[in-house]
Amino acid sequence: MDFEFTQDQLSLREAVARWVGKAHGFDRRHGLAKAGGAAREVYGELAELGLTALAVPEAQGGMGFGPVEAMVVMEELGRGLVSAPFAAGALVAPALLAQGETSVGQTWLPRIADGSALVVLAHQERAARYELSRCAAEAVADGQGWQISGHKSVVPAGDEADAFIVPAVLDGSIALFMAARDAKGLQVQAYPTQDGAQAAELRFEKAPAALITREGLKSLEWAQDIAIAALAAEAVGVMDRLVATTIDYLNTRKQFGVALSTFQALRHRVADVKMQLELGRSMSYYATLKLSEPTAQRRRALSQAKIQINQSARFVGQQCVQLHGGIGVTDEYSASHDFKRLTMIEMAWGDTPHHLGQVSQRMQDSAGVFA
Amino acid sequence: MDLNFTAEELAFRAEIRSWVAQNLPQDISHKVHNALRLSRDDHQRWAQILGAKGWLGWNWPKAFGGPGWNAVERHLFEEELALAGAPRVIPFGPVMVAPVIMAFGSPEQQQRFLPGIASGQVWWSQGYSEPGSGSDLASLKTRAESVGDHYIVTGQKTWTTLAQHGDWIFCLVRTSNEGKPQTGISFLLIDMKSPGVTVRPIVLLDGEAEVNEVWFDGVKVPAENLVGEENKGWTYAKYLLAHERTNIADVNRAKRELERLKRIAKAEGVYEDQRFRDQIAQLEVDIVALEMMVLRVLSAEKSGKQSLDVAGLLKIRGSEIQQRYSELMMQAAGPYATPFVSDAMEAGWQGDHIGAAHCAPLASTYFNMRKTTIYGGSNEVQRNIVAQTVLG
Repeated sequence: MDFEFTQDQLSLREAVARWVGKAHGFDRRHGLAKAGGAAREVYGELAELGLTALAVPEAQGGMGFGPVEAMVVMEELGRGLVSAPFAAGALVAPALLAQGETSVGQTWLPRIADGSALVVLAHQERAARYELSRCAAEAVADGQGWQISGHKSVVPAGDEADAFIVPAVLDGSIALFMAARDAKGLQVQAYPTQDGAQAAELRFEKAPAALITREGLKSLEWAQDIAIAALAAEAVGVMDRLVATTIDYLNTRKQFGVALSTFQALRHRVADVKMQLELGRSMSYYATLKLSEPTAQRRRALSQAKIQINQSARFVGQQCVQLHGGIGVTDEYSASHDFKRLTMIEMAWGDTPHHLGQVSQRMQDSAGVFA
Repeated sequence: MDLNFTAEELAFRAEIRSWVAQNLPQDISHKVHNALRLSRDDHQRWAQILGAKGWLGWNWPKAFGGPGWNAVERHLFEEELALAGAPRVIPFGPVMVAPVIMAFGSPEQQQRFLPGIASGQVWWSQGYSEPGSGSDLASLKTRAESVGDHYIVTGQKTWTTLAQHGDWIFCLVRTSNEGKPQTGISFLLIDMKSPGVTVRPIVLLDGEAEVNEVWFDGVKVPAENLVGEENKGWTYAKYLLAHERTNIADVNRAKRELERLKRIAKAEGVYEDQRFRDQIAQLEVDIVALEMMVLRVLSAEKSGKQSLDVAGLLKIRGSEIQQRYSELMMQAAGPYATPFVSDAMEAGWQGDHIGAAHCAPLASTYFNMRKTTIYGGSNEVQRNIVAQTVLG
């Protein structure tokens, strides 16, 4: 039982924070968002820092670090409100490729590690909502390879990814395939997202693809849990930052001749915000530390964590905007951007009703909580 | 970072578990698991079993005869007791006044009072709140006048938990009206058998006399019963509060009660009702999050580094969760929560239960739990404290 970070983890945190301080102020974030949410520029800088190698196994040119290091980096990226598809490109994709049964991973992992390739999972479908087992896209054998057809939605990084990991039904069950961005039969329609990034609709029409694994559903569940842990840590960073901004504001802004922080109605709101922030941080730790558990325990724990993160993110986001008053709802001020990012985190990889359903389904007669 | 307990910690837990299994009387754990009424004798019997083992002062350092456990070991001990259905140790002696006597009492006071606390022979009460001094405790008026080698204490305390059983009471009393209200308060130990002490039970909304009014009418208290220095009592009281620490979240009990909620929900046919089930799921999440917050505090404490600024949140969240599970249990019983048959909350009652035996105490417990967000510094006062640490 130990929640202390090692010296190496603290150094990693510091390195990311230093880069954020130097290179990624709010003005840059604001500018990138206004320009349409280009993904590669900042992602490339994270690669230069070596961060894209973090989760790639050493054998494929990576550092082979674990979930705690990923959490530390995600927290700091959140604290800097960094606009880059880091979780998708540098955490989820390598986790999927490292587990694959074919040699696709061998080809792509070194390029992910050095940042020359951005690979993202394209799993969302219109009729699936948050159910990973619902997949309409299909794959058929085509000589030595496969062809996939189907429509994937809200894929991170827009049209800037080099390749996509695509779930498609093969012989009655979900398998994962790798399709290059420039594959014949793939149409990409990019658009901005609410939080100043980009996403895309992908339409596959008999597009050539390479098989990664036939254990598609299991892999997707693993991807979801990695993503939840990463988003939880990012949310903690964003909340930390938003709460700090809010406290500064309350201590500075005067009305009725006194600082806003003197009003008890606002002070109690701040206490409630602090509560949700710390519950969220606690469950972010839980999410990360539970990733190594056996599947059933892991999945239940990650659903529990996502529920808390969703609730914390919404409460902290809404209340910090409210505590700011008018300035909180402007585009020029950072609080609204923090709020929007927190909201997008809530909508990603399962909202609260979805994960409550998961926890309900997996409920045990015992207390069923951590012990 | 590691969520797992070490091999030593697991061995420690196993040792506690097996001892509790052998030593906790089943008639007592039966009452706790079913929220039936506990008598003074139940509390005393269990306290003395713990005392004989040297574990009633489980948070005491070795120098005073305690086991000298670290924060994680104390937590594991508390958890094993709670899950096994042990009654909550009445905290006023071993958890509250003892650490104050250790830190600020004279060697004579330590020799005189600590053995009775450690063995569970002496029942202590806490004399803090007064009719005019609730959240604003420092405004207290109970007066202790120094007369030669003793004090004359006059005034009234209230909300004194289980003082009807009390042998001794530690009180905050006013010894000076000079300066700030906090600086005129002293910490006094009073024998409740002294002439002039009157205890009157207050019946609460659940029909139980859990708290009392305690009157002091010219009670003569030897000067040697003053702890530390005169007019420094507020400092000692704050030290005491800091000593209550994490167990104030009562997350271990919440885990036990979550199991009970599931049993009741099953028996009442709402466990498979998705709308009810989702509420249990949410409570599960809330309890896990609280437990993680508690463990973070313990880990920081064990490592000896600066304590986390989340400790103030534990009381707020822990009390909300206590209220929530009692609310859900009552809801599970639905119409069968409405009968109020006081005898049905007595173990071994032979009458006809309305609905089922487990329904009888549910509404009473729900009503009783409203106290948790009020006592020990109301949750609104706690929010003030949290806001102070966050905002300055």
